Amino acid sequence: MQATAAKPPRERQWTGQNSNPILGLAMILPAAAALALFQFLPLITAVLNSLQSFSPFDQSSTGWVGLDNYAELLADPAFRSALLNTFVYIALMLGLTIPLALVLAVLLDKRLPGSTWSRNAIIGALAASEAVTALIWNQMYEPSSGLFNAILNAVHLPTQPFLTGSSQALISIVIMSVWKDVGLPMLIFLAGLQAIPRELPEAAELDGASERQVFWTITLPLLRPSIIVALFMMTITATRMFTPILIMTQGGPQGSTTNLALYSYMLGFEFQSPGSASASVVCMLVVLALVTAAQSFILRDKEAK
Amino acid sequence: MTMASLTLPQAGSVDRAERRHFIARHAGSMILLAAIGIIFVFPIAWAALSSFKSTNDIITGTFPLSWSSFLPLQPTFENYFYLFTELNFQRNLLNTLIAACGQVGIAVVASSLAGYAFARLRFPGSRVVFALLLLTAFIPVEAIIVPLYRIMQWLGLVSTYPALFLPFACNPFGIFLMRQAFRDIPLEMEEAAKIDGAGPLRVFLTIALPNVKPTLATLVLIQFIWSWNAYLWPLVIMQDPNKQIAQVAIANLKSIPNFPMDGPLFAAATAVTIPLVILSIVLQRYYVRGLVTSGMK
Repeated sequence: MQATAAKPPRERQWTGQNSNPILGLAMILPAAAALALFQFLPLITAVLNSLQSFSPFDQSSTGWVGLDNYAELLADPAFRSALLNTFVYIALMLGLTIPLALVLAVLLDKRLPGSTWSRNAIIGALAASEAVTALIWNQMYEPSSGLFNAILNAVHLPTQPFLTGSSQALISIVIMSVWKDVGLPMLIFLAGLQAIPRELPEAAELDGASERQVFWTITLPLLRPSIIVALFMMTITATRMFTPILIMTQGGPQGSTTNLALYSYMLGFEFQSPGSASASVVCMLVVLALVTAAQSFILRDKEAK
Repeated sequence: MTMASLTLPQAGSVDRAERRHFIARHAGSMILLAAIGIIFVFPIAWAALSSFKSTNDIITGTFPLSWSSFLPLQPTFENYFYLFTELNFQRNLLNTLIAACGQVGIAVVASSLAGYAFARLRFPGSRVVFALLLLTAFIPVEAIIVPLYRIMQWLGLVSTYPALFLPFACNPFGIFLMRQAFRDIPLEMEEAAKIDGAGPLRVFLTIALPNVKPTLATLVLIQFIWSWNAYLWPLVIMQDPNKQIAQVAIANLKSIPNFPMDGPLFAAATAVTIPLVILSIVLQRYYVRGLVTSGMK
């Protein structure tokens, strides 16, 4: 299989009945049609809508306005704060989940008694829905009757506003999301660790390297592909954060937890403003593309050295 | 190494000494593992325990900290009773199940067909189309929700069951997963069938599909969980409360003014979450493979 696959041009030898263009096209048709209709068409519509203005009464287009919608957004302090918050969510989510997932994966990979219990618990959190976990954490964060403040109170610490405080709400949502989502990068790292031949770290340890040295000089460089994948997936997760924000704070207090996903949703559905909602969505996709591009640039740079 | 020697039948004293050494060396890690498990289990377990408290008990019994913050000291089934008699929550659960089955069914058919075509058949533009389809993995639902809503309106599907699962049943994840699985089947198996005169469609149905059963299990499980947990899209597209799915119905319990529903809310959250969490842990071989593959090239 491997040998056949390596011979160029690979698929030439696999012709005969297989060069059956009609069957091939027919087989991809359902999936391609669905993705064209339900993914590409709305995406293209969003981009085109961001360049038009709309009648406030019947939502019909009143013509092309170039980048006016974008200019209008940039002038709106609420948009600028949503844009900033989007970056804050991405930075916090990546900064917290990736190192934590690495530590967890290395710990679980030792296969000590207790690993299975820990791994099952993390997988359980990952499989629970965002809506339900947000509702549960919302109860625990409850400022006057919630569990977290009950615990703080019991150890004589001042109670906290959590989701109701504009300086704590965002980090409270992030902590819940880290708890919920750290399992995904952890599982990716665990798969990466299990692909590393055991002899490598063992040989280094025999040569007198400490556990820490082995991690930094052998394990981490070999995990690079897994780190790239995990970063990429968590960037998407962090950019599109929505359900917990909608359920826990509706973007408040004073817009302190609103990101571009929520801002666009509010503009689109509550304020019925398709032009600026679309422009805001496009900005969100640009943020996603920029952060992803920056990551691959930084990580590729290291390899070139 | 240490683990292996632990299980070897050795002289008792050596064995015991080694075990003591093993425990001493790893005690910190083992305590840490236990604590990590508790942290990840806690919120869901706490909600499940609270579902057996009355709403009043939840609101007044949590603060200040006492046993009643964690445990239902006067356990009651009233929340479940209320949920399944007054609120008709079984209706929402059934709707969730309908949406999940629709999503799984379409995903299996469409992803297997497309995955096989991309893995094994040659047709013009296959690489470009494949790349384009994978590109949709970058498009978050949140970004296209308003135009997608308009498309569903145009198709006349708002507030219908198909609207719940149709737009997301075909996804790049399924196509990619199935393509990888079909590629891993040894070519010789399919060649042999072809020499016997089987056409490509027959090869697909009788040779290829039966050989990717574990991947199909992964696909079914992942799609089921995604659909089961969907919140935003059903919230937007389903305006008929009788056809609303469980996740949205639960979240609605939070926002009933002047009428706290904390008890039924915990009960509903437990009823929806616990079976799924158990499913994901029992079938984690398939679940984890799906999650990890979804990110692999």
